[in-house]
Amino acid sequence: MRPRPEREREELDRRRRRKQVQFAFLFSLLVFGLLLIWQSRVLVLPIAVGALLAYLFRPLKDRFYIPGLPHEARVTLLFAAVVLMFAVGFSTVRQHIPSEKQKLELKVRLKYKLNKKAQEFLGAKNTEGRPSPMAALLARETEPMLARINEFLDLTPEEQDLFLRYSTGYLGESPIEERFLEYFQANLNAGAAVSRDPAASTLAPAPAPTPMVTARTKDPVGEAKVREMTEAPHSTLKDELSIWILAPLVFLFLGFDNGQIRRYFIGLIPNRYFEMSLTVMDELDEAIGAYLRGTALECGLVGFTIGLGLFLLGFPFPVAMLVGFISGLANAIPFLGHLIGVVVAVGYALIAEDLTAILPFVNNENLPIAVIIVIAVATLLDNVLYAPVVLGGAVHLHPLVVILAVFAGSAMLGFWGMLLAIPTVVVVKTAAETLYKELRDYRII
Amino acid sequence: MSVRKIIAEKLMWETLKRWKKSSPELDRIEFLRTVPFFGELSTWQLKRVEEVVFERAYEPNELIFEQGQPGAALFLIMEGQVAVEIYHEKFTANLATLERGAFFGEMALLDQSPRSASARATVKTRTLALYRNDLIHLSQSDPETACQIYRALAGIIGDRLRSTNELVQETTGERVAA
Repeated sequence: MRPRPEREREELDRRRRRKQVQFAFLFSLLVFGLLLIWQSRVLVLPIAVGALLAYLFRPLKDRFYIPGLPHEARVTLLFAAVVLMFAVGFSTVRQHIPSEKQKLELKVRLKYKLNKKAQEFLGAKNTEGRPSPMAALLARETEPMLARINEFLDLTPEEQDLFLRYSTGYLGESPIEERFLEYFQANLNAGAAVSRDPAASTLAPAPAPTPMVTARTKDPVGEAKVREMTEAPHSTLKDELSIWILAPLVFLFLGFDNGQIRRYFIGLIPNRYFEMSLTVMDELDEAIGAYLRGTALECGLVGFTIGLGLFLLGFPFPVAMLVGFISGLANAIPFLGHLIGVVVAVGYALIAEDLTAILPFVNNENLPIAVIIVIAVATLLDNVLYAPVVLGGAVHLHPLVVILAVFAGSAMLGFWGMLLAIPTVVVVKTAAETLYKELRDYRII
Repeated sequence: MSVRKIIAEKLMWETLKRWKKSSPELDRIEFLRTVPFFGELSTWQLKRVEEVVFERAYEPNELIFEQGQPGAALFLIMEGQVAVEIYHEKFTANLATLERGAFFGEMALLDQSPRSASARATVKTRTLALYRNDLIHLSQSDPETACQIYRALAGIIGDRLRSTNELVQETTGERVAA
């Protein structure tokens, strides 16, 4: 038998070696993990969305408890219900996603109507028949913005070619309506007027629609370009869809988890920090859960209010709900969310024709103003009622942090980055605060 | 117990026995059955409790929790021995030595007040820990099971209060007599 001091020294050495191995292992795991995330960064978003959905639906899963019914059966039932709900929602949305032809029609219609409305509004004359000074000032101020919108809505030569092909029926689609062809011609005439005279204002009266433009003769180069235009987006969409299949899979497998993931991570934590880590994880879960579920509910309420308001203004029901859905989703982006809602809803209001509003005082002329009022009311209700009641005492962030986070998210991941920026900041802030508090309470620091 | 629950239990227990012979889950359920705290729970209720407890292993002389720290969980001794101690400035008093089947730290199931004593494993020890908030969540998803656990907890705290009162009465009586 070896002497006691020698055994103690060996034990100390063993502990030191164990710590070194643990540190090396954790460090390599971290580096490898970050590298893996970076290499497969396109998968991060669908995984995050699937995990977020699983997190949002977890209280429902916990409440949906039937004695004797296995956990897996419960989750499968719940998953089937959620998939059914989303399938119905997506198929409704998909029916209203415009096809290539409808997109071209939309652009032509939007450009024509926008310029027409701008002319009517900004070309207002006073009682003496002279242009009103206010209208002239507004016209001068908004001209650059309108020019930019016009530039955005201009059809490229390939798109013009495609539009003309669709005008007589193309790829099995019915021919484009006569009035859209007239709008197209009017837009072309207005563009030609501006290009002839660069000093001419974009607000110059658009030439009246002239009789139909004749379709061009088919040329092989144009045909190839058109085919490229119509086919390329489909392949991209297919790739996107194959990546997004991960979201429901992540949702399902996280749903099957019955606390095993939590138990696994808690199992890795040394005994000294066991109770503290339980408290930290729980407080974090509570704060983030309250924030995310509150935000989801708040967005749902805002979307529903806008959808209902637009329906009362005479928007067709599916369009009202679709615009409500987009506005509700965008509401998760602080400050910019309502603006996105306004752009989408006013955009539709500008091109809407022959609407029959439920409210008697709304007509095609004042529809854009009525839409802005509906969104303003929804914003007011959100600030005064929904957010305080639903979010209550959830995590509070400084407005500057919110703005910086939204811009950083946008720079990194575009629209989705803006949408996920605030939840990410909330997670990091709550984690840091809770960890620091508990480390002090447990007298570790 | 209702017919529905008897059938549910029969179905679940038969399945468990068929598929999980001598699994760690089954061992934990069997152990929980022997603890007075969960004595009144049926098998499917014990399965629910087993799903939320954490198994922890301690080396000899390792602290399980320390006096003064906020309490978060109740501990059940599956294997080994635990000493419950109170530290004073000059000495350490050993209040009790607990063995397999015993539990400690039950006040943590009620609030986050600081631990009144420390618990230290005296030999290699395995415990099951039931976290306070998991019990609260259980009371929302399965109120009947949580209610039975809380009733057992109330009974234990009542017994201890009675013992303390008797002790106080005895001490006061001795002082008056003296």
